[in-house]
Amino acid sequence: MPLAFKKETFRDNYDYSNSQDAIKRFPFPFAEDQYMYSVNIEPHVKGKPGSVCEFAFDVDEHYVGECLDKQITLDLDRGRYAVLPHMMDAQWDFVELTMEALANDYPEHFSLKKDGLNWTWENKPLNIKHSFVFGDASTMPMDPFEYMSRQVQGDFVLLDQRDDTLYADGGFVTSQADWSLAFDVGMSWREWHAPVPRATELGVMDRALKYLMNIQLGSPVRRLNWTMTVNPRLDTSPENYPLWGTDRNTVNPENIEDKIHLRVELQSLFRLPRSNGIVFSIRCYLISLKELATYPRWAKRLHRVQKTMHPDLVEYKGMTKFHPMMVEWLSQFDDGETLSVGTQPE
Amino acid sequence: MERGYWIRSKPVYTSLLWHEKATSHLIVAQGQGGMAVLKLLQLMHPKQPITVLYTPQSDADYSKTLLKVVPEGLHILDTEEKILQKLDSTLHTLYMGMRLYIAGSEDFMWTVAKVANKFGIEDAGMMKELTGTLARPIYCVHCKAITHDVTTNIGKCSGCGRMLFVRDHFSRHLGAYMGLMVDAESPGDLPEIEEIYP
Repeated sequence: MPLAFKKETFRDNYDYSNSQDAIKRFPFPFAEDQYMYSVNIEPHVKGKPGSVCEFAFDVDEHYVGECLDKQITLDLDRGRYAVLPHMMDAQWDFVELTMEALANDYPEHFSLKKDGLNWTWENKPLNIKHSFVFGDASTMPMDPFEYMSRQVQGDFVLLDQRDDTLYADGGFVTSQADWSLAFDVGMSWREWHAPVPRATELGVMDRALKYLMNIQLGSPVRRLNWTMTVNPRLDTSPENYPLWGTDRNTVNPENIEDKIHLRVELQSLFRLPRSNGIVFSIRCYLISLKELATYPRWAKRLHRVQKTMHPDLVEYKGMTKFHPMMVEWLSQFDDGETLSVGTQPE
Repeated sequence: MERGYWIRSKPVYTSLLWHEKATSHLIVAQGQGGMAVLKLLQLMHPKQPITVLYTPQSDADYSKTLLKVVPEGLHILDTEEKILQKLDSTLHTLYMGMRLYIAGSEDFMWTVAKVANKFGIEDAGMMKELTGTLARPIYCVHCKAITHDVTTNIGKCSGCGRMLFVRDHFSRHLGAYMGLMVDAESPGDLPEIEEIYP
């Protein structure tokens, strides 16, 4: 299916929406009426045609807009990109993984030609063409990791595996749900996830770490994470909290359906062949309550999940100010019908 | 947050204790940290070579006692800057198997750690004892400046002047706690400022 890339903005006037197709394929994360953290990791295998998991890296109608937004965020704050010096092999691993995946899965948009180590990469939607020597950073216009992170939707963290844990030793992070790469770079798995309430007590982080340290080359894994956010803003960083924090005061019963968005992260992790590191891809999908309620099954489900949410999670996910109003708005769709387990829209 | 909630990136400091199998010992201490060094030497004078770098502070000076107790390798320097220079030059002369012991404020310990990192000594290879004060170094997540010796729940950023809420989330890489603008959602609306890290 040919993609029509939309012109859109993720700040200021927020000119953003999902097409009917995009709504239907939205990765709705709630299979049941209640939610609590779990190690919901599964193999990142090929999903149904048209789904967000059809390919290793999903390219959708927001591709051009998101790549542009990445560039704006990075231009305003270079600290969104950081990589420690020992991660150069992992940088090239990332280049290979992303270029091969995009060229293979979306040949109408991307191409990769290889002549030994002489590679030529072409990205038609962003109008980029570049020849370089694979493994020779001097032939790239910038760090290899930064180069490709700018051309794939989502955030990327390079994990180094040593001392029986994973260290976040590099990252390109411009669409994060309130965590700071500049602060977290170099942290071990446990330190990095330390502020997540309940997860430590539940043992979730330790089990996830054990699982991830054993993922194999060619067998990536994935999970979904979520939060609710005001406005379709990708850059909800702590760095720019003074810019978006007050948005939480602007929600009222009239605008709530357009303002509040379900923000879902498709997180996938790939073992890297040279460095034995892992790339952690965090791809963000945004959908307004109004768009989501196109499918009553989703609206009913979200109502029940939010109504029974643990207070710690309401606070941690920054929903305190608008949570009761949101539950009230969602209640209009919920007739009490029993919903079977599953995330499907209908 | 409810009782029992604990941000696990916050470092846990213990009392200094000898690594008996080390090939040499390097001890770096500041002010009240001199007491930690004395406690360590009460346990044992190890067989291996010792180097002690100490900087006294106006309210805590253990120089006299250290001069009597430390058998060799004692360097008393009057500023933190000189201590760090001496540390750097000392590390150039030491070999694998050396163990590093640090005692002082949190700010001091992580400044020392940063120098040691350059020599490939990782966090797990250093022993740290917090002494004298609970004052925290705070990293402003907005302007990236580090403000030293913050003793209150909310501190003013030395870089951008924003009032920062001091979180328990700690970065070893930066040697600081995270500070986040406290009144971003309601400008000017500040909670009560209290000294909780005296």
